[in-house]
Amino acid sequence: MGRQLSPDDLGSRLRARFGEDVQVMDAFGHAVATVPVDRYHDAVRYCRDEPEFGCDFCDFTGGVDLGGEAGFEVVTHLWSTTNHHSVRIKTRLPREHPSVPTISDLFPTCDWHERELSEMFGITVENHPRPVKLLLSEPFEGYPLRKDFPLMSREAKPWPGAVEGEEDEDE
Amino acid sequence: MGVITEKTPLPRVKPVKFILNWGRRYSLWVFNFGLACCSIEFISASAAKNDFIRLGVIPFAHGPRQADLLLVAGTVTDKMAPVIKRLYDQMPEPKYVISFGSCSNCGGPYWDSYAVTKGVDQVIPVDVFVPGCPPRPEALLHGIVQLQAKIKDEDIEEKFRSGTSAVS
Repeated sequence: MGRQLSPDDLGSRLRARFGEDVQVMDAFGHAVATVPVDRYHDAVRYCRDEPEFGCDFCDFTGGVDLGGEAGFEVVTHLWSTTNHHSVRIKTRLPREHPSVPTISDLFPTCDWHERELSEMFGITVENHPRPVKLLLSEPFEGYPLRKDFPLMSREAKPWPGAVEGEEDEDE
Repeated sequence: MGVITEKTPLPRVKPVKFILNWGRRYSLWVFNFGLACCSIEFISASAAKNDFIRLGVIPFAHGPRQADLLLVAGTVTDKMAPVIKRLYDQMPEPKYVISFGSCSNCGGPYWDSYAVTKGVDQVIPVDVFVPGCPPRPEALLHGIVQLQAKIKDEDIEEKFRSGTSAVS
């Protein structure tokens, strides 16, 4: 049984191990570390294997389209079932040819998460054991969770409800 | 199921037609294709309070090959649509389809989705649409009564001629 570490402690240990350019923050009691993509796999492995971290459970791997030139973000949430703390590893990817190494060799559960990440955002997952679509049908074209993906129904009929960010102006 | 074929004798003689259609409409073996929350309403309609068994809709056929009625309840996605088509093709003629709920009728709240089929009638022919999100069990009872009214006056030879994919 290990010891629960605060987000600050987890962050400072990650910075000491992976360099000062790793950004760490405390988001609602969770440690969040943004690492360069070449250290992403090592950071996940470190969180899993380092006894002080003991992150033996991968909650999810997902993507975020930050819009425009900001590119994409891959978010991996790790949880320690023995130490009861979590680490969220993020990495930034460019908009052109986004590519991230697989972590399904570390956490087999990420296999499907990464297939979904790949089909929804068009992010290449390197060395994935079975890089085929998970949820979408095979002939599907495009990456539906990208911000610039057009919803054809909405081209014909715009969204009838309120748009996020515009509700306040009406009030 | 299966007993009535396109070679059934004298289907246009009035007493024969009456007996055949009377028997068919009160023994609709149902194949439940529950895909989302509408399936819960369907189950509720089959359970004690509403009890569509009293209308002759016997749940549940063991598979599509025993079924007369395909009840699509829930959101049909583009990935699921070929499966519905395949199972529908496995059902013997004469067969019927009820589309239950807004999602399977037209996409419903997922009208702008990239993954949802906007209406199961794009894939298979539908006899009765039950509107609602989700429809109450009573709405399904009404839909079943409507289907039975349709079967009552049906010409069997015509049904087989217009059938899209009779599997013998």
